[in-house]
Amino acid sequence: MNKHSVIILIIVTLLLHAWPAWRHFSQFSREPYSTFRANPLSVVNEEKARPSMLKEFINPESVSDMVHVSSICELADGRLASVWYGGTREGSKDTAVFISIRDADSREPWSRPRVIIDRKSASEELKRYVKKVGNAVIFTDSEGRLWLVYVTIAIGGWSGSSLNVKMSNDGGDSWSTSERITLSPFFNVSELVKNNPVFFENGDFAIPIYHECFGRFPEMLWVRTGNNGSGISFRKTRMAGGRRLIQPSVVACDSYSGRAFYRNLASDRKVAFSTTDNAGSTWSEPENLRLRNPDSGINALLLSDGRILMAFNDSSNSRESLSLAISDDCGSSWENVSTIENEEGQEFSYPYMILGRNGTIHLVYTWKRRHIRHLAFNDAWIDIQKGVRK
Amino acid sequence: MIPFAYSFIFSFLLVVFILQSVLKKIFAVNIKGYMQALTILLISVLITAIPFQGLCLAQWIFSMNANFSIPLTAILLSRVIDNASGIRLLDRNAVLTSTVFGLIAGTFLYPMALGLGRFDPYEIGWSFSFLFMILMAVTLLLIIVKNRFGIVLTVCILGYNIRIMESHNLWDYIVDPVFMIISCIYITTSAIKHMYTRGPV
Repeated sequence: MNKHSVIILIIVTLLLHAWPAWRHFSQFSREPYSTFRANPLSVVNEEKARPSMLKEFINPESVSDMVHVSSICELADGRLASVWYGGTREGSKDTAVFISIRDADSREPWSRPRVIIDRKSASEELKRYVKKVGNAVIFTDSEGRLWLVYVTIAIGGWSGSSLNVKMSNDGGDSWSTSERITLSPFFNVSELVKNNPVFFENGDFAIPIYHECFGRFPEMLWVRTGNNGSGISFRKTRMAGGRRLIQPSVVACDSYSGRAFYRNLASDRKVAFSTTDNAGSTWSEPENLRLRNPDSGINALLLSDGRILMAFNDSSNSRESLSLAISDDCGSSWENVSTIENEEGQEFSYPYMILGRNGTIHLVYTWKRRHIRHLAFNDAWIDIQKGVRK
Repeated sequence: MIPFAYSFIFSFLLVVFILQSVLKKIFAVNIKGYMQALTILLISVLITAIPFQGLCLAQWIFSMNANFSIPLTAILLSRVIDNASGIRLLDRNAVLTSTVFGLIAGTFLYPMALGLGRFDPYEIGWSFSFLFMILMAVTLLLIIVKNRFGIVLTVCILGYNIRIMESHNLWDYIVDPVFMIISCIYITTSAIKHMYTRGPV
């Protein structure tokens, strides 16, 4: 290298580093990180007054031997969509992600489940080997676009998972090509998803994810969609370290504060939680709640009146019962509301809840690994259950 | 499409390098010269591109790791060109610097990114941060002392800006687990060789 080439290289290096700096500061000044979009809905009074509870199976005639990890969302047109994965058994090569859709207000049954993605189509779309597909979460963003975030595995078990994303602009009729999200520097493995995203005032959202390999810890996947959905960018932050907390469920209490609840792998068998006061940027040291957790998935939901509802397996060692608990103080203290399933030797697990625009709470969960069950109920039903227990 | 193209180039270089090594070291074939180089390149393209069980070799490698770092690719390219023509893009000093860099970066990144402690250094690679400042300082220093690894680091930030890889995180452009392991082996063997060539005091 002579003197001239050194000078040219120095100038080029400075310019190449100036570009990401300029992009970062210009974007941040235009769209600073936002505050939580808490979603208290104004629900019609007579709706609130009449308790209602609907129980049904989304897939009454199961098309696969095993189904697991369901999620549900409300589409832009008000219909409901639910996804889950199913196959011969958990982790088998024939697993696929299924979708079923239903009109929210009609008594029509859910549509026959159809496959959105399986290992063959994922392999074609991602241009790489895919051994199997797994956990999937579906939700609608602030622009009405439907997102599917799902797991694929190339090697090994769940610790070999990577996350992928697909989008739909027509309510799930057609989907974009899958896109792999790189979230780990170590061969991009061990990133999984289970629970609902949390939304921000500026249209961004964050999906609670978790790492499950050498360490087992919760993380937030931040998604910024940019103007008109163009230029989607991802980044990831850690919520806690260690080897015991996974599958975070995040609830916004107000614009800045929120709670995350965790599945606890430790021997103390309690639901754990941590708190944020800066809209999810940092989280407090995790602590245990009094609610039991048998190393099983949980889900928390902010209700229209500001209370938090949690669906969880109320046991230290089994998934035989599925219960609801409610908190009036943003998750500090809890009161058991109802046991919605309880049968010895059976499994009722992986709950996932959303709050519909009409105030209806939709809960989906794995029912004996054979079906996905959907419960639709309202605040009044919860209040009656509380009264019954007292 | 660009990330897969980059991955294809990496796979192709890897196949060329393995072919060169096998021919040279096992079969003692002279691999220097235009005809030899052209033959090896053609065979390598075929090996990289012909599908096996529905996927070509580049896609199989892409499946295992879609983000091989730019320094590793640069070392591979340098070795391939050196084997074919005797021209060294990266001299011994640059290779040693790159492996020291790979070992330090990997040792800092991987244990914490995989869960050791609460701080995740991977977070600082998503957008402009002090990682970029450190990288710029190291790059400028190496360029000033005329170490060619400085050019490789300049290519890293260029690759990051134009998103040559699937990853959007700067860390993946400057280090990967394979590069770290190779760096570790290279530094260890270099140290052992150095000790033996010095002889007993």
